[in-house]
Amino acid sequence: MISFEHVAKRYPGGIQALSDVNFALDRGELAFLTGHSGAGKSTLLRLIALLERPSRGQVLFEGRNVGKLARRHIPYLRRRIGVIFQDHRLLSDKRVFDNVALPLMIAGLSYGEIRRRVRAALDKVGLLDKEKMFPPMLSGGEQQRVGIARAIITKPPLILADEPTGNLDPDMSAELMRYFLQLNELGVTVLIASHDLDLIRQLGQRVLVLKGGEMVDDLPARQTLAGESHGK
Amino acid sequence: MASSARRSGYETLPGAAGLRAWARRHAFSLLSSLGSLTRQPIASSMTVIVLAVALTLPTALHVTIDNVERIGQGWERLDTLSVFLEPEVEAVEAQRLASRLTSWPEIAAVDPISPDEGLHELSGQLNLGDLGDQITDNPLPWVLEITPETEVVVATLASRLEREAGIDLVIVDLQWLERLDAILAVIQQLVSLLAALFAVGVAFIIANTIRMDIQNRREEIEVMALVGATAAFIRRPFLYTGLWYGLLGGFLAWLLVRIGLVVLATPIARLSGSYHTHFQLYPPAPEITALLILGSGLFGILGSWLVVGQHLRRINP
Repeated sequence: MISFEHVAKRYPGGIQALSDVNFALDRGELAFLTGHSGAGKSTLLRLIALLERPSRGQVLFEGRNVGKLARRHIPYLRRRIGVIFQDHRLLSDKRVFDNVALPLMIAGLSYGEIRRRVRAALDKVGLLDKEKMFPPMLSGGEQQRVGIARAIITKPPLILADEPTGNLDPDMSAELMRYFLQLNELGVTVLIASHDLDLIRQLGQRVLVLKGGEMVDDLPARQTLAGESHGK
Repeated sequence: MASSARRSGYETLPGAAGLRAWARRHAFSLLSSLGSLTRQPIASSMTVIVLAVALTLPTALHVTIDNVERIGQGWERLDTLSVFLEPEVEAVEAQRLASRLTSWPEIAAVDPISPDEGLHELSGQLNLGDLGDQITDNPLPWVLEITPETEVVVATLASRLEREAGIDLVIVDLQWLERLDAILAVIQQLVSLLAALFAVGVAFIIANTIRMDIQNRREEIEVMALVGATAAFIRRPFLYTGLWYGLLGGFLAWLLVRIGLVVLATPIARLSGSYHTHFQLYPPAPEITALLILGSGLFGILGSWLVVGQHLRRINP
């Protein structure tokens, strides 16, 4: 699904965010991407969603070299990737319903279809009763769930999450992570950047470790622990 | 997981191709653009007023020129030609020439003035008393006062008359009319230049307003790009906003000119009344009005295209 081959990213101004990254993520896999802040986690995710282009090497998504994708094809790539941000990236002057509906409005679906799918997505994240509220009226965890509803509304095959639990308390974080595991069980490929090591250890999924712009470790999933965390 | 059919290419949208989807996306953009205008009513109306004032100047100047030209046409018709016959032409010959000229299609009327009448008139004008009594040898020739038909070009008629036998001199006081025409042509050129300049101004005023709008909605644009909005989709509401600004500015400029004409109507009527003429102000022609409003709208689109394009390149590397 995703494959990095000798990927480097150097920002203008000489900051080397990634120097030589190699890894692959298969369809239907779930992995955590961890490392200190500044290790290049966000950059790595940004390269997949083509928010940045790599300076060197190849980023493959569904077999295509994303770095070489023509600008006019970028939107269609992004429609196949649901991205979730630490700061939610919700539009505060639009209602929860409209925030979640945005990807479908962009796709040009009919209002009836949009309404049906938005309510289904909000129901899935447990926020159906909040659809008329504005994001600032919600708690951090609820806002994050709105972000998730928006990311999954188009049923993308890949979900990227950048520090989704960054602003949440431990209970909320654990609940959110369980939600990602559920999504993964439905067949969605998930890559989560997080530095919440305790939580990641508990979940026992595959862990990729970035350090100073390089992939220094790739820990495979521990099935027993993963099973335990599902049971919670 | 997505079906394999959906993976055929990034060009295919999930379940939303065709005309209806296109129409829905347009409706979304249209509503979105109207929303951005009404969300900041003061900022929007200030932009529209600035546009209107900028557009009123060339439009008002054009209307002024147009009206002055209409008056000029009226004056030209008041003109008569003074045809001085050669001194040796006698009364019989003069009368014959006069009746022959009357048959010309260009000429409405011929009024022959004998040397005696001319001398009498002249002495009256110069306040010299009865000059005719003192001058025995009248030096004045016969003169034919000719009134041309309304649609005749006076200068052409004059040169044709000059070629006639027995005619010494044709005097037409066309010079001041020609000067007026020349001045009007200069001002007309100025209006065209101003119109071009202000059209560019409109594009930049709107570009600047849209730029601020983009700054305010930076987050929204980025989020839209993140969830897969195409450049066209992101651009469209701003293009509509530019169009609305342009159309509203053009319309308001037209309204200002019309109001100006109404305000001026009474003093103009009083002025023309004092000259015993009836003169009315003409509003801008329909094609000028259309050019003003549609042109302004077009430059609005152009202006917003410039800034939005520049901004989009930053989001999509």
